[in-house]
Amino acid sequence: MAKDIKKALRDFWYGKPHTAEEGGRRLGELYEDKTGLLKHREWRGVKDTFYYMYMIWGYNYVHMVTDILKFSNNPIDFVKGTWRYRWMGQTYLPVMHWFERGLQGMRGEALAASAWHYRAMVSASIHQICNFFNADTRLHGGKQNDAYKHTIYANETTCGTLFYPFMDDGYQYLPIEMIPYFVTCHVNSHTVLNYIDAVQSIGLPGDPCPMCQAESGIFVLDDVPDYAPAVITCNEACDASVSTSTLQDWFADKPLFALPIPMQFDDPLVKKYCMNEIEEMWKFIEEQTGAKFSWESMVKRLERQNKLQRDEWEKWEVAAKTNYYPINGVAQALFRIFSTQYGIQTSCWEEASEKVKKIMYKCVEKKINPFPQTRHRVIAWSCAPLYFSNWCTWAYNCWGLNTIINMDSLMFDMEIRTDSYENMLEDVVQYHMWAPMRRMAVGGMHHIFELWDYMERFNCDMVAMYDQLQCKGMQGVHGLFEDEFRKRNIKAFWMPHALPDCRTVSRAEIRRQINDYMTTVMHEEPLDPSLLDFDDSMTW
Amino acid sequence: MKDLKHLIYFENLLQEANNDLVKQAKAEGKRAIGYTCYFMPEVLLDLPGCFSARLRAPRCTSPDIATYYLSGRVCHYARSLMERALEGGYNFLDAQMATETCTATCRFQEHLQQKHLDSVEDMRIIDNDDFFCEFTDIPFKNNENSYQHFETQLRAHVLEPLHEHFGIDISDDAIRQAVEEHNEVCRLINEIGDYRKLDNPTITGYEFHVIQLVSLVCPKYLILPYLRETAEEMKTREPDTRKNFRCKVVLAGSENDDPDFTKLIEGCGALVVCDRFCYGAVESRVPIVLEEGKSPLRCIAEHYLKTSNCPRFMPQDEMRARKKRLADLAKEYNADGVIIASNKFCEYWSYERVIDTFILQRDFGLPVCSIEKEYINSASGQLRTRFQAFVESVEIKHIQEGK
Amino acid sequence: MCKKLGKFLLKFLAIFVAANAVLFVVFFFDLDGKLLFNVVEPFLKDHYDKMERKDTLKSPYDIDKFPKYKYD
Repeated sequence: MAKDIKKALRDFWYGKPHTAEEGGRRLGELYEDKTGLLKHREWRGVKDTFYYMYMIWGYNYVHMVTDILKFSNNPIDFVKGTWRYRWMGQTYLPVMHWFERGLQGMRGEALAASAWHYRAMVSASIHQICNFFNADTRLHGGKQNDAYKHTIYANETTCGTLFYPFMDDGYQYLPIEMIPYFVTCHVNSHTVLNYIDAVQSIGLPGDPCPMCQAESGIFVLDDVPDYAPAVITCNEACDASVSTSTLQDWFADKPLFALPIPMQFDDPLVKKYCMNEIEEMWKFIEEQTGAKFSWESMVKRLERQNKLQRDEWEKWEVAAKTNYYPINGVAQALFRIFSTQYGIQTSCWEEASEKVKKIMYKCVEKKINPFPQTRHRVIAWSCAPLYFSNWCTWAYNCWGLNTIINMDSLMFDMEIRTDSYENMLEDVVQYHMWAPMRRMAVGGMHHIFELWDYMERFNCDMVAMYDQLQCKGMQGVHGLFEDEFRKRNIKAFWMPHALPDCRTVSRAEIRRQINDYMTTVMHEEPLDPSLLDFDDSMTW
Repeated sequence: MKDLKHLIYFENLLQEANNDLVKQAKAEGKRAIGYTCYFMPEVLLDLPGCFSARLRAPRCTSPDIATYYLSGRVCHYARSLMERALEGGYNFLDAQMATETCTATCRFQEHLQQKHLDSVEDMRIIDNDDFFCEFTDIPFKNNENSYQHFETQLRAHVLEPLHEHFGIDISDDAIRQAVEEHNEVCRLINEIGDYRKLDNPTITGYEFHVIQLVSLVCPKYLILPYLRETAEEMKTREPDTRKNFRCKVVLAGSENDDPDFTKLIEGCGALVVCDRFCYGAVESRVPIVLEEGKSPLRCIAEHYLKTSNCPRFMPQDEMRARKKRLADLAKEYNADGVIIASNKFCEYWSYERVIDTFILQRDFGLPVCSIEKEYINSASGQLRTRFQAFVESVEIKHIQEGK
Repeated sequence: MCKKLGKFLLKFLAIFVAANAVLFVVFFFDLDGKLLFNVVEPFLKDHYDKMERKDTLKSPYDIDKFPKYKYD
């Protein structure tokens, strides 16, 4: 009896322990059937529960409002935009559930640090959303206002760095699809299905990359704000991405500049070609918007970007060599890809990075292991399922698989020199060619097999091999990976998925694949058996 | 119509990549250079001392081992090439001039390449000690920057390796000689193809498809006598007195080296009078013009970027102009409609097909039959139904228009 | 005066505690999520589904509308 009371008090104060042997927390039982909603949130102990409630849940709800007030020219536009665009209304509101999925089971430093990455992403998203609505002619009676004239409209895969030279003059770069497509998939995976269906309804087969399908579908459904006078498209990341531009050109019907990235980017001969194309793009922007190239504007932001890169290296160093890195797999991946792609257009990345570093060094100094139940250090390779990017959180909670690093994070892995225009341009070209999904995916298959080096560098003993079923580039190296895994005796599990489309491979199916691997190949027992199988088929 | 004298011979040449003429050229000491994409200028692979062979995998219906390596979710063409390579069907190749112009064929060619890396073991698929595979970076645009880049790439990744590995003469004179031979092939193919423009054509789409294909897969100097003879024969070839087709169509789309597909369409009553697809003649048989004051290589680089209608090309004016070019072809060849066929898993053409289907009908008034097909068309029953319905719809349109 | 201040403070404290208790109930039982999932999202979905949209397939596609953007 006394023992029970003692345990109940301990559970109340510290939260229930992780593992089943210790009479664990059984997180799977918190879910309502199918919807993925929570019967109730997890009691994480007094400190962490109230930290979560006030410093994450409450803090972010409040800041979602204050960010709108900060970034919006007129908050009424925000309401109008929410009413006008499906990707906005359906996605924005469940943001805190997105946090919940990514942070489930986290405690202490892991909870706090990972949440700062989420906070930065939310702030940057609101920044973009407000900028969309500030400039959108559809919300302003067809009027092309000043914000419209100061906005550059580009594919989300064109790296934000290229637009720094115009930002001192008040110009901003807004990626077309990052908010309507990319962010929505993470926050509310229902939204994107409308766009995929829309483009298939006009005759596109179901097999091209579903990301590109969705990016076209937004246009088919007339759900793209009209927020800039001209368009920049890019051949990143794949054949379907190039082709998406043809549909986007039709429906946007604006002056369009195609910015190609060379495929064979290791070849020194391609650099000059790429430099010329970037310079041509700058001329196009000047011609279409009246903006002027500013070296100072470029340097100022590149230096901030370089600082952010150095911060990331600092964090990776800790992640690679110690057990004190407090960021979970999903927060690591999304923060990195989002920040590098959108670039230095808000200070939220730097602020979050500083906060995280502080928490990280506290862990290092006090030797706090934020993921104490780690059984395997995992490297996630290839591109992740957007509708289940939080699989890493689930995998840690269920199996002790701690995702240390992922391929997307390693893409833009360089500083850019700012000592001269020539050096800057040369580095920007390299950076541009190492865009997401390209650094490893094209330019020769040796890039994708850099996995082994990174595995060693980050001290990982297992590979989570994403298997994007509609990515032709990754499908095309499937067999060689199988051969190499066998030859090298590497523990690796495949995770089939269809990027944004949760109907092709469900979350439950992904979990089942991992469960099967862990039981039949690894012969391990789950840390939390309640997470093995549950129905969240209707969840956001 | 009377059968073409060499048709059966041509058909036999298409049964294997390593056909009789390829064997003959190899026996004569010529180097066989494989390629897959239009963007790899075949004329440079036909320099004296070597010959081009555009890769095909005829009769490959079950690419099982290739499916293990490339998975079942990439295009059947790439998998078929891989399977044929694994079977030893391309061991005659001395080099593969590769391009990263579409992902699937790129991955196939990367498997052929000996990379000498610690990170991934080479497969040595092509059992030939001399074999090498070299990639060229192909531009996505046709501006001055792209011409320069392409010229540089072709020199570094095509000409120089051919010279280094096999001692091929890559001088301007040698290139001019290759262009001359290439242009003769173009002239003959165009001459033969122009009979498709007649009111009652004296050549079928199938026959032309076969002839065009042999010109791509056989050494030029060995196929030329047969082409010359066929062109001569065409001059006196009489059409059937009664038209044996119900409408004429342009066949456009992605990779297609299967003449039986053309035969299938024609079996449904639609005569294929123009072939604007990968492996077709519309682009590949435009003669190369060597301009004064420009190096032959520069002219070749410009030629291939200017003539391409590949949906891989990104500039806005190009994206839009190629719809009109397709409509112009229909007019030039007196076609009643367009069949747009994309290979399953071909991302470029999946999109291009969608937009062509709408724009050609809406803005140019052309009936369009939009289909998805496999590399080898096992689903011929379904396709036949689609083509028959299309032919009927074109006929109904004609009746409504009082034609 | 002191009594009044004390009363005010007590009242303030009571409101503060009550507001936090309500907030905690909303937070702990995921009531925000439930409201959004069961009420707000279906309502918005219905709105977006019924929304009149431009038929984008009727968008013009003028072949020569834009010049060649070349800066050679």
